[in-house]
Amino acid sequence: MNSSGEIASNIGQLHCDSGYSDACSDAHDEDWALITKAQQGDLASYDALVTRHRGRIFAMIRNMIHNEADAWDLSQEVFIKAWHALPRFEARARFTTWIYRIAHNAVYDWNRKRRIESVGELDDNLFNSEQIDPASNTTPSANAAPDDSLAQSELRVKIERALAKLSDEHRQVVILKDVQGLSYKEISTIMETSLGTVMSRLHYARQKLQTMLQDEYAAR
Amino acid sequence: MNTPPDDVTLALWLEDELHGDEFAAVEAWARTQPDQIAMRESARKWKAMVKSAIPAVEEPPYPDFFNKRIAQHIKRHEAQQTETRAQNTIPFWRKFTLPLAACAGMAFTFWLGIHSRSIPVVETIAEMTATDELIQLAEANDSPPATVYTPENGVRAECFESETASATVVVLDGLAAIPDTTDLTRQTAATETPREIDSTAHADLPASKDTKP
Repeated sequence: MNSSGEIASNIGQLHCDSGYSDACSDAHDEDWALITKAQQGDLASYDALVTRHRGRIFAMIRNMIHNEADAWDLSQEVFIKAWHALPRFEARARFTTWIYRIAHNAVYDWNRKRRIESVGELDDNLFNSEQIDPASNTTPSANAAPDDSLAQSELRVKIERALAKLSDEHRQVVILKDVQGLSYKEISTIMETSLGTVMSRLHYARQKLQTMLQDEYAAR
Repeated sequence: MNTPPDDVTLALWLEDELHGDEFAAVEAWARTQPDQIAMRESARKWKAMVKSAIPAVEEPPYPDFFNKRIAQHIKRHEAQQTETRAQNTIPFWRKFTLPLAACAGMAFTFWLGIHSRSIPVVETIAEMTATDELIQLAEANDSPPATVYTPENGVRAECFESETASATVVVLDGLAAIPDTTDLTRQTAATETPREIDSTAHADLPASKDTKP
Protein backbone atom coordinates (compact mmCIF):
# COMPACT_ATOMS: atom_id res chain seq x y z
CA MET A 1 0.00 0.00 0.00
CA ASN A 2 1.36 3.43 -0.89
CA SER A 3 2.06 6.09 1.67
CA SER A 4 0.30 9.44 1.73
CA GLY A 5 3.36 11.20 0.30
CA GLU A 6 3.40 8.98 -2.76
CA ILE A 7 -0.31 9.50 -3.21
CA ALA A 8 0.03 13.25 -3.24
CA SER A 9 2.71 13.14 -5.92
CA ASN A 10 0.68 10.71 -8.02
CA ILE A 11 -2.45 12.77 -7.74
CA GLY A 12 -0.58 15.88 -8.81
CA GLN A 13 0.09 14.24 -12.15
CA LEU A 14 -3.58 13.52 -12.69
CA HIS A 15 -4.76 17.09 -12.60
CA CYS A 16 -5.56 18.14 -16.14
CA ASP A 17 -7.98 21.03 -16.36
CA SER A 18 -8.88 20.70 -20.00
CA GLY A 19 -7.48 19.03 -23.05
CA TYR A 20 -4.46 16.77 -22.95
CA SER A 21 -1.29 18.26 -21.61
CA ASP A 22 1.94 16.22 -21.47
CA ALA A 23 1.49 15.57 -17.75
CA CYS A 24 -2.06 14.46 -18.41
CA SER A 25 -0.94 12.14 -21.17
CA ASP A 26 1.71 10.64 -18.86
CA ALA A 27 -0.91 10.06 -16.18
CA HIS A 28 -3.14 8.44 -18.77
CA ASP A 29 -0.29 6.14 -19.87
CA GLU A 30 0.50 5.20 -16.27
CA ASP A 31 -3.16 4.47 -15.67
CA TRP A 32 -3.33 2.36 -18.79
CA ALA A 33 -0.29 0.30 -17.76
CA LEU A 34 -1.91 -0.43 -14.40
CA ILE A 35 -5.29 -1.15 -16.01
CA THR A 36 -3.79 -3.69 -18.42
CA LYS A 37 -2.23 -5.59 -15.52
CA ALA A 38 -5.38 -5.30 -13.42
CA GLN A 39 -7.48 -6.65 -16.28
CA GLN A 40 -5.31 -9.77 -16.14
CA GLY A 41 -6.25 -10.15 -12.48
CA ASP A 42 -3.30 -8.37 -10.87
CA LEU A 43 -4.80 -7.04 -7.67
CA ALA A 44 -1.64 -5.12 -6.70
CA SER A 45 -1.90 -3.02 -9.87
CA TYR A 46 -5.53 -2.31 -9.15
CA ASP A 47 -4.58 -1.32 -5.63
CA ALA A 48 -2.14 1.21 -7.09
CA LEU A 49 -4.88 2.47 -9.38
CA VAL A 50 -7.21 2.92 -6.40
CA THR A 51 -4.50 4.85 -4.59
CA ARG A 52 -4.05 7.20 -7.55
CA HIS A 53 -7.75 8.02 -7.87
CA ARG A 54 -9.32 7.58 -4.45
CA GLY A 55 -8.67 11.19 -3.37
CA ARG A 56 -10.61 12.66 -6.30
CA ILE A 57 -13.46 10.19 -6.07
CA PHE A 58 -13.80 10.60 -2.31
CA ALA A 59 -13.73 14.41 -2.58
CA MET A 60 -16.31 14.41 -5.35
CA ILE A 61 -18.68 12.07 -3.50
CA ARG A 62 -18.21 13.85 -0.19
CA ASN A 63 -19.05 17.18 -1.78
CA MET A 64 -22.12 15.64 -3.35
CA ILE A 65 -23.61 13.87 -0.35
CA HIS A 66 -22.16 15.94 2.53
CA ASN A 67 -21.55 12.93 4.72
CA GLU A 68 -18.03 11.69 5.30
CA ALA A 69 -18.91 8.20 6.55
CA ASP A 70 -21.28 7.50 3.66
CA ALA A 71 -18.80 9.02 1.21
CA TRP A 72 -16.15 6.63 2.53
CA ASP A 73 -18.38 3.60 1.96
CA LEU A 74 -19.68 4.84 -1.36
CA SER A 75 -16.17 5.52 -2.69
CA GLN A 76 -15.23 1.93 -1.91
CA GLU A 77 -18.35 0.73 -3.66
CA VAL A 78 -17.29 2.73 -6.73
CA PHE A 79 -13.90 1.04 -6.86
CA ILE A 80 -15.43 -2.41 -6.32
CA LYS A 81 -17.89 -1.79 -9.17
CA ALA A 82 -15.03 -0.53 -11.32
CA TRP A 83 -13.07 -3.74 -10.65
CA HIS A 84 -15.99 -5.86 -11.80
CA ALA A 85 -16.47 -3.68 -14.90
CA LEU A 86 -12.75 -3.45 -15.66
CA PRO A 87 -12.71 -6.26 -18.27
CA ARG A 88 -15.06 -4.12 -20.37
CA PHE A 89 -12.94 -0.96 -20.06
CA GLU A 90 -11.40 0.13 -23.37
CA ALA A 91 -8.25 2.13 -24.03
CA ARG A 92 -10.06 4.89 -25.93
CA ALA A 93 -11.66 6.18 -22.71
CA ARG A 94 -9.81 7.97 -19.93
CA PHE A 95 -9.88 6.08 -16.65
CA THR A 96 -10.67 9.27 -14.72
CA THR A 97 -13.74 10.00 -16.83
CA TRP A 98 -14.84 6.36 -16.59
CA ILE A 99 -14.48 6.19 -12.80
CA TYR A 100 -16.23 9.55 -12.38
CA ARG A 101 -19.12 8.14 -14.36
CA ILE A 102 -19.35 5.14 -12.03
CA ALA A 103 -19.19 7.54 -9.08
CA HIS A 104 -21.94 9.69 -10.61
CA ASN A 105 -24.21 6.64 -10.96
CA ALA A 106 -23.42 5.50 -7.42
CA VAL A 107 -24.31 8.93 -6.01
CA TYR A 108 -27.49 9.02 -8.08
CA ASP A 109 -28.54 5.59 -6.74
CA TRP A 110 -27.62 6.57 -3.20
CA ASN A 111 -29.71 9.74 -3.36
CA ARG A 112 -32.67 7.88 -4.83
CA LYS A 113 -32.46 5.13 -2.21
CA ARG A 114 -32.20 7.67 0.57
CA ARG A 115 -35.27 9.52 -0.68
CA ILE A 116 -37.28 6.29 -0.78
CA GLU A 117 -36.13 5.23 2.68
CA SER A 118 -36.80 8.61 4.20
CA VAL A 119 -40.43 8.76 3.00
CA GLY A 120 -42.69 8.57 6.03
CA GLU A 121 -39.92 7.52 8.39
CA LEU A 122 -38.91 10.81 9.89
CA ASP A 123 -40.58 14.13 10.37
CA ASP A 124 -38.16 16.48 8.66
CA ASN A 125 -39.70 19.42 10.50
CA LEU A 126 -38.01 18.18 13.65
CA PHE A 127 -34.71 19.30 12.26
CA ASN A 128 -33.77 22.61 10.87
CA SER A 129 -31.42 21.99 7.96
CA GLU A 130 -29.88 25.40 8.55
CA GLN A 131 -28.56 24.17 11.89
CA ILE A 132 -26.84 21.15 10.40
CA ASP A 133 -23.48 21.96 9.00
CA PRO A 134 -23.24 20.16 5.65
CA ALA A 135 -19.47 20.15 5.94
CA SER A 136 -19.47 18.52 9.34
CA ASN A 137 -17.37 15.39 9.76
CA THR A 138 -19.32 12.37 10.88
CA THR A 139 -16.24 10.40 11.80
CA PRO A 140 -13.13 11.80 13.42
CA SER A 141 -10.11 11.84 11.14
CA ALA A 142 -7.18 9.88 12.49
CA ASN A 143 -4.46 12.02 10.98
CA ALA A 144 -4.49 15.75 10.79
CA ALA A 145 -4.12 16.41 7.07
CA PRO A 146 -2.61 19.68 5.84
CA ASP A 147 -5.93 20.51 4.21
CA ASP A 148 -7.73 20.43 7.55
CA SER A 149 -7.29 24.13 8.16
CA LEU A 150 -8.79 24.84 4.75
CA ALA A 151 -11.60 22.39 5.34
CA GLN A 152 -12.54 24.26 8.48
CA SER A 153 -12.41 27.61 6.81
CA GLU A 154 -15.44 29.79 6.85
CA LEU A 155 -15.53 30.14 3.09
CA ARG A 156 -15.67 26.41 2.54
CA VAL A 157 -18.56 26.07 4.94
CA LYS A 158 -20.42 28.89 3.22
CA ILE A 159 -19.84 27.46 -0.26
CA GLU A 160 -20.88 23.99 0.86
CA ARG A 161 -24.02 25.35 2.47
CA ALA A 162 -24.86 27.14 -0.75
CA LEU A 163 -24.11 24.01 -2.79
CA ALA A 164 -26.43 22.00 -0.55
CA LYS A 165 -29.29 24.24 -1.61
CA LEU A 166 -28.84 23.43 -5.29
CA SER A 167 -30.49 20.53 -7.07
CA ASP A 168 -28.43 17.34 -7.44
CA GLU A 169 -27.78 18.00 -11.13
CA HIS A 170 -26.72 21.62 -10.64
CA ARG A 171 -24.54 20.74 -7.67
CA GLN A 172 -22.81 17.97 -9.58
CA VAL A 173 -22.03 20.19 -12.56
CA VAL A 174 -20.46 22.80 -10.28
CA ILE A 175 -18.43 20.18 -8.41
CA LEU A 176 -17.18 18.52 -11.57
CA LYS A 177 -16.42 21.78 -13.34
CA ASP A 178 -15.32 24.24 -10.67
CA VAL A 179 -13.94 21.88 -8.03
CA GLN A 180 -12.67 18.93 -10.05
CA GLY A 181 -11.74 21.03 -13.07
CA LEU A 182 -13.19 18.72 -15.71
CA SER A 183 -14.03 19.88 -19.21
CA TYR A 184 -17.57 20.31 -20.53
CA LYS A 185 -17.11 17.27 -22.75
CA GLU A 186 -15.99 15.08 -19.86
CA ILE A 187 -18.92 16.24 -17.73
CA SER A 188 -21.40 15.51 -20.49
CA THR A 189 -19.93 11.99 -20.79
CA ILE A 190 -20.05 11.43 -17.04
CA MET A 191 -23.59 12.72 -16.64
CA GLU A 192 -24.77 11.25 -19.93
CA THR A 193 -26.26 14.53 -21.11
CA SER A 194 -25.65 16.87 -24.02
CA LEU A 195 -22.97 19.54 -24.00
CA GLY A 196 -25.67 22.23 -24.15
CA THR A 197 -27.42 20.87 -21.06
CA VAL A 198 -24.16 20.90 -19.11
CA MET A 199 -23.44 24.48 -20.19
CA SER A 200 -26.94 25.60 -19.28
CA ARG A 201 -26.88 23.85 -15.89
CA LEU A 202 -23.51 25.37 -15.05
CA HIS A 203 -24.68 28.83 -16.03
CA TYR A 204 -27.77 28.71 -13.79
CA ALA A 205 -25.98 26.96 -10.93
CA ARG A 206 -23.24 29.59 -10.89
CA GLN A 207 -25.79 32.37 -10.99
CA LYS A 208 -27.60 30.94 -7.96
CA LEU A 209 -24.37 30.38 -6.05
CA GLN A 210 -23.06 33.85 -6.81
CA THR A 211 -26.30 35.35 -5.54
CA MET A 212 -26.09 33.30 -2.33
CA LEU A 213 -22.41 34.09 -1.88
CA GLN A 214 -22.65 37.69 -2.99
CA ASP A 215 -20.58 39.11 -0.12
CA GLU A 216 -17.77 36.59 -0.40
CA TYR A 217 -17.65 36.87 -4.18
CA ALA A 218 -17.58 40.68 -4.16
CA ALA A 219 -14.84 40.77 -1.53
CA ARG A 220 -12.40 38.98 -3.86
CA MET B 1 -11.51 37.41 -37.03
CA ASN B 2 -14.54 39.67 -37.00
CA THR B 3 -17.31 37.13 -37.09
CA PRO B 4 -18.48 36.16 -33.61
CA PRO B 5 -18.07 32.49 -32.64
CA ASP B 6 -21.06 30.24 -32.07
CA ASP B 7 -22.43 29.81 -28.55
CA VAL B 8 -20.68 26.51 -27.86
CA THR B 9 -17.29 27.78 -28.99
CA LEU B 10 -17.77 30.96 -26.98
CA ALA B 11 -18.71 28.96 -23.86
CA LEU B 12 -15.60 26.81 -24.32
CA TRP B 13 -13.45 29.94 -24.71
CA LEU B 14 -14.96 31.46 -21.53
CA GLU B 15 -13.94 28.31 -19.65
CA ASP B 16 -10.44 28.23 -21.17
CA GLU B 17 -11.19 25.00 -22.97
CA LEU B 18 -10.13 26.06 -26.44
CA HIS B 19 -6.73 25.26 -27.89
CA GLY B 20 -4.68 25.92 -30.98
CA ASP B 21 -6.13 27.74 -33.96
CA GLU B 22 -9.64 27.79 -32.55
CA PHE B 23 -8.44 29.55 -29.44
CA ALA B 24 -6.38 32.06 -31.44
CA ALA B 25 -9.37 32.90 -33.63
CA VAL B 26 -11.76 33.54 -30.74
CA GLU B 27 -9.08 35.38 -28.80
CA ALA B 28 -8.58 37.74 -31.74
CA TRP B 29 -12.30 38.39 -31.92
CA ALA B 30 -12.58 38.88 -28.14
CA ARG B 31 -9.96 41.67 -28.13
CA THR B 32 -12.67 43.95 -29.43
CA GLN B 33 -15.27 42.56 -26.98
CA PRO B 34 -14.55 43.96 -23.49
CA ASP B 35 -17.75 42.44 -22.05
CA GLN B 36 -16.64 38.94 -23.11
CA ILE B 37 -13.20 39.47 -21.61
CA ALA B 38 -14.87 40.64 -18.39
CA MET B 39 -17.08 37.54 -18.35
CA ARG B 40 -14.06 35.29 -18.75
CA GLU B 41 -12.29 37.09 -15.94
CA SER B 42 -15.37 36.72 -13.78
CA ALA B 43 -15.50 32.97 -14.49
CA ARG B 44 -11.79 32.63 -13.69
CA LYS B 45 -12.26 34.54 -10.43
CA TRP B 46 -15.19 32.35 -9.46
CA LYS B 47 -13.32 29.13 -10.20
CA ALA B 48 -10.27 30.33 -8.28
CA MET B 49 -12.44 31.16 -5.27
CA VAL B 50 -14.17 27.76 -5.27
CA LYS B 51 -10.92 25.89 -5.81
CA SER B 52 -9.22 27.70 -2.97
CA ALA B 53 -12.04 26.74 -0.60
CA ILE B 54 -12.88 23.21 -1.67
CA PRO B 55 -10.03 20.86 -2.51
CA ALA B 56 -10.39 18.70 -5.62
CA VAL B 57 -8.45 15.92 -3.95
CA GLU B 58 -9.20 14.79 -0.44
CA GLU B 59 -7.74 11.65 0.99
CA PRO B 60 -10.37 9.45 2.62
CA PRO B 61 -9.93 8.81 6.34
CA TYR B 62 -7.78 5.74 7.06
CA PRO B 63 -6.57 5.48 3.46
CA ASP B 64 -4.72 2.19 3.97
CA PHE B 65 -7.79 0.57 5.47
CA PHE B 66 -9.79 2.03 2.59
CA ASN B 67 -7.69 0.09 0.05
CA LYS B 68 -7.56 -3.00 2.23
CA ARG B 69 -11.33 -3.26 2.42
CA ILE B 70 -11.63 -3.01 -1.36
CA ALA B 71 -9.00 -5.73 -1.80
CA GLN B 72 -10.72 -7.94 0.78
CA HIS B 73 -14.07 -7.58 -0.94
CA ILE B 74 -12.58 -8.41 -4.33
CA LYS B 75 -10.75 -11.47 -2.95
CA ARG B 76 -13.88 -12.70 -1.19
CA HIS B 77 -15.94 -12.22 -4.35
CA GLU B 78 -13.36 -14.04 -6.47
CA ALA B 79 -13.30 -16.94 -4.00
CA GLN B 80 -17.10 -17.17 -4.08
CA GLN B 81 -17.09 -17.18 -7.87
CA THR B 82 -14.45 -19.93 -8.00
CA GLU B 83 -16.51 -22.00 -5.57
CA THR B 84 -19.68 -21.51 -7.60
CA ARG B 85 -17.85 -22.42 -10.79
CA ALA B 86 -16.52 -25.59 -9.15
CA GLN B 87 -20.00 -26.55 -7.99
CA ASN B 88 -21.46 -25.99 -11.43
CA THR B 89 -18.73 -28.01 -13.18
CA ILE B 90 -19.73 -31.71 -13.20
CA PRO B 91 -16.84 -34.17 -13.76
CA PHE B 92 -16.77 -36.02 -17.10
CA TRP B 93 -17.49 -39.46 -15.60
CA ARG B 94 -20.44 -38.13 -13.62
CA LYS B 95 -22.11 -36.88 -16.78
CA PHE B 96 -22.54 -40.52 -17.87
CA THR B 97 -23.10 -42.22 -14.54
CA LEU B 98 -26.00 -39.98 -13.50
CA PRO B 99 -28.35 -40.91 -16.40
CA LEU B 100 -27.27 -44.56 -16.15
CA ALA B 101 -28.10 -44.67 -12.47
CA ALA B 102 -31.46 -43.06 -13.17
CA CYS B 103 -32.27 -45.67 -15.86
CA ALA B 104 -31.21 -48.54 -13.58
CA GLY B 105 -33.42 -47.18 -10.82
CA MET B 106 -36.41 -46.95 -13.13
CA ALA B 107 -35.84 -50.51 -14.44
CA PHE B 108 -35.59 -51.90 -10.90
CA THR B 109 -38.79 -50.12 -9.85
CA PHE B 110 -40.60 -51.52 -12.90
CA TRP B 111 -39.36 -55.09 -12.15
CA LEU B 112 -40.41 -54.74 -8.53
CA GLY B 113 -43.85 -53.57 -9.57
CA ILE B 114 -44.34 -56.53 -11.94
CA HIS B 115 -43.28 -59.11 -9.35
CA SER B 116 -45.27 -57.81 -6.45
CA ARG B 117 -48.48 -57.71 -8.56
CA SER B 118 -48.11 -61.09 -10.38
CA ILE B 119 -50.61 -63.28 -8.39
CA PRO B 120 -53.32 -60.66 -7.82
CA VAL B 121 -53.23 -59.79 -11.51
CA VAL B 122 -54.08 -63.37 -12.52
CA GLU B 123 -56.89 -63.51 -9.96
CA THR B 124 -58.26 -60.23 -11.09
CA ILE B 125 -58.36 -61.50 -14.66
CA ALA B 126 -60.24 -64.62 -13.47
CA GLU B 127 -62.69 -62.46 -11.58
CA MET B 128 -63.14 -60.25 -14.57
CA THR B 129 -63.87 -63.30 -16.75
CA ALA B 130 -66.38 -64.50 -14.21
CA THR B 131 -67.96 -61.10 -14.09
CA ASP B 132 -68.18 -61.04 -17.88
CA GLU B 133 -69.99 -64.40 -17.81
CA LEU B 134 -72.42 -63.03 -15.24
CA ILE B 135 -73.06 -59.98 -17.34
CA GLN B 136 -73.68 -62.13 -20.39
CA LEU B 137 -76.05 -64.34 -18.34
CA ALA B 138 -77.84 -61.35 -16.97
CA GLU B 139 -78.22 -59.85 -20.43
CA ALA B 140 -79.72 -63.13 -21.61
CA ASN B 141 -82.18 -63.10 -18.70
CA ASP B 142 -82.91 -59.41 -19.25
CA SER B 143 -82.08 -58.52 -15.66
CA PRO B 144 -79.35 -56.37 -14.15
CA PRO B 145 -76.15 -58.31 -13.35
CA ALA B 146 -75.32 -59.16 -9.78
CA THR B 147 -71.68 -58.47 -9.06
CA VAL B 148 -70.08 -59.70 -5.87
CA TYR B 149 -66.76 -58.35 -4.76
CA THR B 150 -64.68 -60.62 -2.54
CA PRO B 151 -61.81 -58.72 -1.02
CA GLU B 152 -60.25 -61.82 0.61
CA ASN B 153 -58.05 -63.98 -1.60
CA GLY B 154 -59.25 -67.55 -2.17
CA VAL B 155 -62.90 -66.80 -1.51
CA ARG B 156 -65.30 -67.48 -4.35
CA ALA B 157 -68.72 -66.02 -4.58
CA GLU B 158 -71.70 -67.44 -6.44
CA CYS B 159 -75.05 -65.76 -6.89
CA PHE B 160 -78.35 -67.52 -7.22
CA GLU B 161 -81.39 -65.52 -8.11
CA SER B 162 -84.92 -66.70 -7.74
CA GLU B 163 -87.61 -64.68 -9.43
CA THR B 164 -90.42 -66.56 -7.80
CA ALA B 165 -89.01 -66.04 -4.33
CA SER B 166 -87.77 -62.56 -5.22
CA ALA B 167 -84.51 -63.42 -3.54
CA THR B 168 -80.84 -63.57 -4.28
CA VAL B 169 -78.61 -66.03 -2.49
CA VAL B 170 -74.91 -65.41 -2.35
CA VAL B 171 -72.77 -68.42 -1.58
CA LEU B 172 -69.30 -67.66 -0.37
CA ASP B 173 -66.93 -70.60 -0.76
CA GLY B 174 -63.59 -70.62 1.04
CA LEU B 175 -64.46 -68.61 4.13
CA ALA B 176 -63.29 -69.84 7.50
CA ALA B 177 -65.98 -71.37 9.72
CA ILE B 178 -67.63 -68.92 12.08
CA PRO B 179 -67.05 -70.03 15.69
CA ASP B 180 -70.12 -70.81 17.77
CA THR B 181 -69.10 -68.31 20.39
CA THR B 182 -69.53 -65.40 17.99
CA ASP B 183 -72.56 -63.37 18.94
CA LEU B 184 -74.00 -62.49 15.59
CA THR B 185 -76.81 -60.49 17.07
CA ARG B 186 -74.44 -57.82 18.24
CA GLN B 187 -72.53 -57.69 14.96
CA THR B 188 -75.51 -57.52 12.68
CA ALA B 189 -76.39 -54.10 11.65
CA ALA B 190 -79.91 -53.24 12.71
CA THR B 191 -82.17 -51.48 10.30
CA GLU B 192 -85.05 -49.62 11.73
CA THR B 193 -88.25 -50.02 9.81
CA PRO B 194 -90.75 -47.26 10.15
CA ARG B 195 -93.64 -48.29 12.35
CA GLU B 196 -97.09 -47.22 11.54
CA ILE B 197 -97.65 -45.91 15.03
CA ASP B 198 -94.67 -43.56 14.71
CA SER B 199 -96.23 -41.85 11.80
CA THR B 200 -98.83 -39.29 12.77
CA ALA B 201 -99.39 -37.85 9.38
CA HIS B 202 -102.04 -40.26 8.22
CA ALA B 203 -103.04 -41.90 11.46
CA ASP B 204 -106.78 -42.38 11.91
CA LEU B 205 -106.97 -42.37 15.61
CA PRO B 206 -110.19 -43.54 17.28
CA ALA B 207 -112.16 -40.91 19.13
CA SER B 208 -110.96 -40.70 22.67
CA LYS B 209 -113.29 -41.71 25.44
CA ASP B 210 -112.06 -38.90 27.59
CA THR B 211 -113.03 -36.28 25.09
CA LYS B 212 -115.51 -33.99 26.65
CA PRO B 213 -118.43 -32.77 24.60
